[in-house]
Amino acid sequence: MSNNFKAALQSTLSGIWQADTQQRTFRQIMNAFARPGVIETLEGEFLEGDGMLLTLATLLDGATTLADVDGLLSEHDLARLEVSTLAAEQARFVLTHGKVAPAFMPSLGTLESPDTGATIILKIQEIGSGNRLKLTGPGVDGACEVAVNGLHPAWLAAHQEWNSAFPLGVDMLLVAEHQVMALPRTTRIEEIK
Amino acid sequence: MSAGYNFGFLDEHAKKEVRRAILKAISIPGYQVPYSSREMPMGRGFGTGGLQITLSLIGANDTLKVIDQGSDDSVNAVNLRQFIEMTCPGIDTTTRLSEATLIQSRHRIPETPLKPEQVLVLQVPYPDPLVVVEPSEDKRKIMHGEADYARLLVKLYEDIVKFDEITISHRYPTRINDHYVIDPSPIPRWDVPKLDNSPALILFGAGREKKIYAVPPHTKGEPLAFEDVPFRVEDFRDAQGKRRACARCGATDTFLDEFMNEDGSKRYQCSDSDYCDETLEADMMTEATTHA
Repeated sequence: MSNNFKAALQSTLSGIWQADTQQRTFRQIMNAFARPGVIETLEGEFLEGDGMLLTLATLLDGATTLADVDGLLSEHDLARLEVSTLAAEQARFVLTHGKVAPAFMPSLGTLESPDTGATIILKIQEIGSGNRLKLTGPGVDGACEVAVNGLHPAWLAAHQEWNSAFPLGVDMLLVAEHQVMALPRTTRIEEIK
Repeated sequence: MSAGYNFGFLDEHAKKEVRRAILKAISIPGYQVPYSSREMPMGRGFGTGGLQITLSLIGANDTLKVIDQGSDDSVNAVNLRQFIEMTCPGIDTTTRLSEATLIQSRHRIPETPLKPEQVLVLQVPYPDPLVVVEPSEDKRKIMHGEADYARLLVKLYEDIVKFDEITISHRYPTRINDHYVIDPSPIPRWDVPKLDNSPALILFGAGREKKIYAVPPHTKGEPLAFEDVPFRVEDFRDAQGKRRACARCGATDTFLDEFMNEDGSKRYQCSDSDYCDETLEADMMTEATTHA
């Protein structure tokens, strides 16, 4: 067997495509969106590499669209997700590396349908150490502090700019190895210097 | 018996669509996210919206409580619970709020404060509070986007002019996070303050109207009112000004249902049956210890 084929087979048989795994993962992602600043650690011994593919497998299917801006997905995984690909400007989900500044303008939705604003999934180094951020807004009891490593500061500026006219905006999900944390459009982020 | 059904009855694509709608509902507190509500094996209006949310969330580790008008034993709660037990093998059900991880409810929010790890799903018949003042959904969507609720406030003002108070008894329009006004489902006014700074996530599902919306935890929820006519909850004082107590458990801090005795006199009892049972049990425990 070629190594490519072996890798493809392994990923096809992986637990991340199972409904019960995705149900548990969704509850963790939902809790992350409901409580910005809370770090959820995705579970499962089947997780090789990182939780990114599990996150995508949980959220995506043929009824939605994805832009893989930095080519983080293999052709095989992209096919397995069954998702249609679109440009980052139109896609409902945008997958990108957090270490580089954004070079696109995502959909912010419309006044009538702000839910069409994009969900941006950012791959970063680590959540829990690094640059400290202070978060306030819905889902946060007063204020909370969280640290992120490997997120280009331009993303924080973009979060503020794109979400400056509520209800329009984008919602971000940070993924670092097995950890996820959400920054929905209502979260106000302050850098702690 | 579950032969032939997917876990949770819905197919996985339907669940994923509901789940994506839930994430947007949480991210835009109070905004009604449209979704393609599926046909369920029960009539629309019987809680199919709440049911689709519950079925999209539930897993084998969950303990579910289903409430109808405060009670676990009324017909809507029993039917929904049995259906979920049948299509979700492995889950646990309970009537005890403290044991539940997932609570689906119709017309009430439990008396005991929810815990952060619990999720409350409310069944919604009419999701849009603006429908009384604007028949066009396109126009309502723009009004919601602009947070333009002037006409709704005029409607409340007309109530004050006619009756000296706002006469809405349930489905009281509530502003979430200083923007969207929601119909909080037919909960009594008594339950409306529980939407403000809630410890738990609250999800709303309207199956017939195909909408999902949310009040995230620790989010501002403010009933619409005027400075000189503040919002107030139901008054359970009798003619002498004494707070009525539950005839069963004696509680004087709960929402009471009114019953008619055979002789025509009135009797009041807790609407939240689990709370009433737990108060009774606690009383019996205290009594037992005192007598021992």
